[in-house]
Amino acid sequence: MKRWQNAILYLVVIYLILLLGPVAGLDLPRIFGEIARSPASLVQQLLVGIVNGAIIAIIALGYTLVYGIIELINFAHGDLFMLGSFMSLTVVGAFGVGDGASPAASLLAVLSALLLSASLCAGLNVLTERYAYRPLRNASRLAPLISAIGVSFIFINLGLFWGGLRSFFPIMGANAASPKSFPDLLPRVDVLQALGIEANIAFTTKDLIVLVVAVVLMVGLHLFVQYTRLGKAMRATAQNREAAKIMGINVNQIIALTFLIGGALAGAAGLLVGLYNNTVVFTMGFTVGLRAFTAAVLGGIGNIIGAMLGGVLIGVLSALSDQYLSSRWTNAWVFAILVVILVFRPGGLLGENVQEKV
Amino acid sequence: MPLLEVRRLTKKFGGLVAVKQVDFTIEKGMIASLIGPNGAGKTTFFNMLTGIYPPSSGRVLLENREITSFPPHQLTSLGITRTFQNIRLFNNLSVLENVLVGRHSRLRTGLLGTLLRLPAVQQEEYQAQKQALHLLDFVGLGRRKAQELAKNLPYGDQRRLEIARALASDPKLLLLDEPTAGMNPNETAQLTRFIQRLRNELQLTILLIEHDMQVVMGISDTVSVMEYGSKIAEGTPTAVQADPRVIEAYLGKESL
Amino acid sequence: MTQQAMKSGNILAAIAALTVLLFGGWSGAVIGWLLGAAAGLMACQGKKIPSPKTGIRLGSNAGLALGIWILIASLIQGLVLFPATGQSSLGVIQGLLFGGVGLVVATFAGWLMGALQGLGSKRQQATRAFLAVILITFPLIDQIARTNWTATVIQILIFALLALGLNIVVGYAGLLDLGYAAFFAIGAYTTGFLSSPQINLEWNFWLVIWIAAAVAALAGVILGAPTLRLRGDYLAIVTLGFGEIVPVVFRNLTQIQIYEPISRIFASLLGRPELAICLVGCDRPFNLTGGEAGINPIGRPTLPLIGTFQSGQYLPWYYLILLLVVFSVLMIGRLRDSRLGRAWSAIREDELAASAMGINLVQTKLLAFAMGATFSGFAGAFYGAYISAIFPSVFDFSVSVIVLCMVILGGLGNMTGVLLGCTIIMAADRLYLPQLAQVLKSILNTLVLPNVANPALRDFLATSIDPIQMRLFLFGLTLVVMMIVRPEGLVPNAERQAELRSPDEESLAEVRSQ
Ligand SMILES: Nc1ncnc2c1ncn2[C@@H]1O[C@H](COP(=O)(O)OP(=O)(O)O)[C@@H](O)[C@H]1O
Ligand SMILES: [Mg+2]
Repeated sequence: MKRWQNAILYLVVIYLILLLGPVAGLDLPRIFGEIARSPASLVQQLLVGIVNGAIIAIIALGYTLVYGIIELINFAHGDLFMLGSFMSLTVVGAFGVGDGASPAASLLAVLSALLLSASLCAGLNVLTERYAYRPLRNASRLAPLISAIGVSFIFINLGLFWGGLRSFFPIMGANAASPKSFPDLLPRVDVLQALGIEANIAFTTKDLIVLVVAVVLMVGLHLFVQYTRLGKAMRATAQNREAAKIMGINVNQIIALTFLIGGALAGAAGLLVGLYNNTVVFTMGFTVGLRAFTAAVLGGIGNIIGAMLGGVLIGVLSALSDQYLSSRWTNAWVFAILVVILVFRPGGLLGENVQEKV
Repeated sequence: MPLLEVRRLTKKFGGLVAVKQVDFTIEKGMIASLIGPNGAGKTTFFNMLTGIYPPSSGRVLLENREITSFPPHQLTSLGITRTFQNIRLFNNLSVLENVLVGRHSRLRTGLLGTLLRLPAVQQEEYQAQKQALHLLDFVGLGRRKAQELAKNLPYGDQRRLEIARALASDPKLLLLDEPTAGMNPNETAQLTRFIQRLRNELQLTILLIEHDMQVVMGISDTVSVMEYGSKIAEGTPTAVQADPRVIEAYLGKESL
Repeated sequence: MTQQAMKSGNILAAIAALTVLLFGGWSGAVIGWLLGAAAGLMACQGKKIPSPKTGIRLGSNAGLALGIWILIASLIQGLVLFPATGQSSLGVIQGLLFGGVGLVVATFAGWLMGALQGLGSKRQQATRAFLAVILITFPLIDQIARTNWTATVIQILIFALLALGLNIVVGYAGLLDLGYAAFFAIGAYTTGFLSSPQINLEWNFWLVIWIAAAVAALAGVILGAPTLRLRGDYLAIVTLGFGEIVPVVFRNLTQIQIYEPISRIFASLLGRPELAICLVGCDRPFNLTGGEAGINPIGRPTLPLIGTFQSGQYLPWYYLILLLVVFSVLMIGRLRDSRLGRAWSAIREDELAASAMGINLVQTKLLAFAMGATFSGFAGAFYGAYISAIFPSVFDFSVSVIVLCMVILGGLGNMTGVLLGCTIIMAADRLYLPQLAQVLKSILNTLVLPNVANPALRDFLATSIDPIQMRLFLFGLTLVVMMIVRPEGLVPNAERQAELRSPDEESLAEVRSQ
């Protein structure tokens, strides 16, 4: 009886999705037709999604690290990443390298941008923790959240202000609020062609470099957290702050370290996004940040592997939706999938579903 | 007909079997105690009776009616309420409001009645408040503390308030999870007399988890003993006290 | 307590002085009237006032203190600031006139409020009556004084409705909702669909506003349902998700064409697309929401005698939204003090214990979402009719966040606090900051820019020194500082405890007598 009811319910839901889905781009006959016509473009979108997802994952790590250790949704993290991209743009501008600059000059500019952007974001994040979150550690849960929203507004405004400094940094362009073009500094050698594979798929060294850097950062973080003394202290603090304190861990220091690492990752991501998308804008802290945050939750917030998984998933989903559904509906699809996953797994994909002990 | 009947009730948490095939009955108007070492599964047993955890297997019957896996609020309407081992009051509500929340399942006021503030609604609210104040008197808290925030009460009063809150739902079966934990001997004796009064004056059926043997032996009609999730003994207080398995569970093998 | 009163008195004085400095003219009289009453009330707050005489002494003193600040500010404004913005000095006489009237009005307002506080058992009713008089006469006074604040106050009241609704969800039931603007949008779009040429329904506003509220409530239930099992921050992210999805949906429902899916699949398998059965938008895709351009025009309310509400005439709009807010405060107050309101609080405090005490979590939470959404449905309907057009971009995340900030800044779960938080944020954002920008710009143009030689620096100063550009920064900074100074909000629930502390027998008698 119950089985039948469920089966009918599912059929109704599927029918409704088929009925209304096309309005939001989910038009199965068309989609299958497109895939059949050019399977290569499916692979292409997967690759684009994976690279974008890797960048999202780096930002997601910042959310998840902070959430894991002080259970705060650090709303300012996305905007911190945006400031990182502005810092990178400024540095690259100062080096005066433009599109098609010599590899040596580009490399120097990029490395300096990485260093400065990561330092700026790490420093800002630590300062934020010290002055905007730490005083609220024992307040109600909403107080630090609102404080984080406040910091996010401050960062957005700083980004807007920074973008308007055309008198000092010509690379910012004429208009403070408009998107700024980021010089295309990464080489674009077609990897597949170089390997002698004939396919109608564009996968260049640019994609490869971004992907490799992202993976290196993630693996590095994972190793750090799993195997170093400080990493273990971080995990201990995340598990039980009181117990960690009793065991002689300087909890404040460990929390600051977490913000430092998260910030540095955000700075690196800021550079990567600039290099990869070749455009930065002060509102991307919100748009990209939201995707990253969604990724962190999707994977199970507080879980490092989960954040990486979530990031790649969101990246791939968005890319596929952009191509096969409708780019105007992508945001709605991403969140709809998040909602569905959380309804069935309230703790995210890799999060544990702990039952409260009574 | 027993008031509550439990058949082969089991709860697993992953690999851990917290409650193992427990059979249990309680007659109307009885006071039954559940004892056993820490971690024996007593609270988990309560949690299944009150719908907080769904059992892994087994059945629960209230007056011969199947109530297995009912949600907590429905069980409260049917007449089962409880207190918690680690007090769970609504901390930032007043004492009176705490008791009124306990009355929730017996009040009928709906959304429309509230918005229109119908006379019947006001009458019901008035009656509920009056009853709540009586309950505060009855548990010995007194109405003078009615407007204090629950979190500001001393520990003993919090325990009393939890009982008042549970009583507000007019239960048939009251489950008390270690009600005397953290009380001094004087308070414990008081509470023991109070539990007897509950049975005698309100005709309640009471199941309590208790560590204090004096309390258990003093007021229980039957005692059940749990260890490692299983019920290992049951009977009158004296019989259980003499049972070698019980002594072993409590004192270890050597003491036999 | 006295120290507290002094502190609030100083804050009021600072606000009044700032107002006069920025707006000049008769603004001193208007703000003196409003804040004088507030100062009088605060001076008597939490004290036993045996007779009107005592109240008058306290109240008029507070009003006078405020008035003196207004006078001083008036003089500074007329003699120093006015010339600095490139206008000719107002002169001492005019400054004295503006400031003096402000002083008298402020003192009178404080006097009157103080007197009312001494009325014993009628104290609360009298205060409410005075408050009503202030609110009802406000647009008239605003017109006479030519301060032109009514339009902003209407905006404030729209957000007040939103904040009151969100307070039910977050403040009472403890469910963190980051996508509340979705319901605002749903209310507004419902109004748009039902009373505009968009789909050729031009129903009467007085009917549509109720439908909009009902639809928003229904949406509250539908969007609330998937969140029921989620806890804390997961709930927050899912509501945030809905807040993002809803505007996307409204933005993109512009080319709707729906086919029956089974026939469609067969048609495409057979390679004969004409076999698909078309249901909606067959001749040409159906445009439901107008996309980015939105829905325009939306029908306005009509009343006998007044006729149709016009866009430039604020009075009828003001009274309508005021009525809506007062109605909402009344209704929400009833909900809060009822069985349902208690159930919400219980869930907020301890979900598990609440369910063990007989509260149906599903029903109670959904009712919280539905009720919260209802009031933003009202707000949406009013907004749609008032602006006479709606666009998807109005309902984005920033609205959800700002309303949440109002609720938390003011004092979670406390209606007075929420209204205060809303007023402060909105007034600062829509009234003070733009005016400050204008004043600074004038000062910059008159005093600074002519003296800057370096063109790059001049360019920088002219484009970058703009408080409007720094709006987010200031707002963010305020949030952080407020949270650190007062994490419980401006009017914390201590206030509520004071309300609670009336002797129980007395409150019971009150219930009985009603
Ligand atoms: N929610 C839960 N998840 C996992 N294990 C649990 C949970 N609740 C109880 N347990 C375990 O079940 C066992 C019995 O616990 P409990 O019923 O609280 O014992 P008692 O009340 O007899 O001291 C313990 O080992 C406890 O750790
Ligand atoms: Mg126990």
